[in-house]
Amino acid sequence: MLKDYLERDLYNLIIKNFSFNDITEIRMRVNENLIIVVRNKKFYLKDDNGEFIKCNTNMIENFIKKASENSIYAYNDNIINGYITLPKGIRVGLCGNIVTDGDKIVTIKEFQALNIRIPHNVKNCSLPAYEYILGEDVRNTLIISPPGAGKTTFIRDFIYQLYQHNVPKNILVADERNEICSVVNGEPALNVGGFADIYTNCSKEFAFKNGIRSMRPDVIVTDEIDLDKDLPCIIEAINSGVSVIATIHAKDLNQLKRKANFDKIIDEKYFSRYIVLSNDEGPGTLKNIYDEKLNCIYCR
Amino acid sequence: MKWFLIIVLITVIMIIARAISEQYKEKYDFYYNLKDFLNQFKINLSFSQSKIKEFLDKINSKKQFKIFIDEYKNFLSYGKFDLSKIKILEDDEKTELTKIINNIGKYNAKNEMLQVDAFMVSIDSKLEKAKQDKQKLCPLILKLSLLFAIALSILLI
Repeated sequence: MLKDYLERDLYNLIIKNFSFNDITEIRMRVNENLIIVVRNKKFYLKDDNGEFIKCNTNMIENFIKKASENSIYAYNDNIINGYITLPKGIRVGLCGNIVTDGDKIVTIKEFQALNIRIPHNVKNCSLPAYEYILGEDVRNTLIISPPGAGKTTFIRDFIYQLYQHNVPKNILVADERNEICSVVNGEPALNVGGFADIYTNCSKEFAFKNGIRSMRPDVIVTDEIDLDKDLPCIIEAINSGVSVIATIHAKDLNQLKRKANFDKIIDEKYFSRYIVLSNDEGPGTLKNIYDEKLNCIYCR
Repeated sequence: MKWFLIIVLITVIMIIARAISEQYKEKYDFYYNLKDFLNQFKINLSFSQSKIKEFLDKINSKKQFKIFIDEYKNFLSYGKFDLSKIKILEDDEKTELTKIINNIGKYNAKNEMLQVDAFMVSIDSKLEKAKQDKQKLCPLILKLSLLFAIALSILLI
């Protein structure tokens, strides 16, 4: 897959030393060694002479040029949010010089670093929590973990498990960055089963509002919520009788408690389950499950 | 026999003259199409923002401009841009075109638009020159060639 985007020599060197199925991240920083992350372990890539591969501006710019299919303008809405999504849910995080026009971010230029994150289907990774999420209905659930600990993989698998267990729910996926399902030409490249209706590359606000009106969802699944920005549409969905499964960045519940608006969530009991994932035994390791009163009902 | 040879000579000279004058027409057509292409690209930037490859697939082109579009597609697929097949262009014109192609798609829509506008200023002047060359030189070449053919025929008689 990355063959189309990486320079040929670099790609050959990577596949010579690593299996693409194991790589979770490739990191490039200008004038620094290229890093390959395999199951949370970092490796410096070396050439045939044992020299470290150093990244340069050209390497990064060429990658972005290819990733945007020589059409940065067509990807700019994503770029200003700091990423480009490639087919198969590969997400390229971008850092560089942020160009602004007043308060508005116009684009990013002079790219300094990029992080290519390669998703992997971890089959049945959501199964240990499945019974906790699914009661008579799908419970409103917040998945909590630090970046790279398998939140997206978890919710993708959960959507698939509902299909696999023949729980005939209309599942609306608000896939803001096209990471959950990686839809290409209307077809999800990552397996989410047959019950999912997917909005990609749109705001959660749009997906929630329009989805509830037009797709009659039983469950809305979304990734990486921002409690400040996204809480109103989540509350609206829950109050409309739609279950919500969402993910959020935090190391644990204590960290989450420090976020703005979290008190409101607890007081109003918007979510019935809080699932904490960690990287302890690889991405997607189930650590704790809490109920709406924050009592631990599953502790590892 | 002599008259037949004279007719053949005049015909050959006129065919050569037409081929030479055709190059000026083709150059004008090329720049005309290039300007149209950039205008369409600006419309694309303002509305659908199709990726450059999808945009190129929608372009109808023929003759020299088709070579250019095909080479552009090659460049997107393989990173190679070879304009040597376009015989009507001078080396500096090819260099400028290569520069344009290398820069398209590097910026957000607003800056891309500004860049295309800058390219169009240069293309406009080239189009104007190609138009003048076509208007002046095409008939001139044909007339001079006919005169040359007649003169040569008279000498042969």
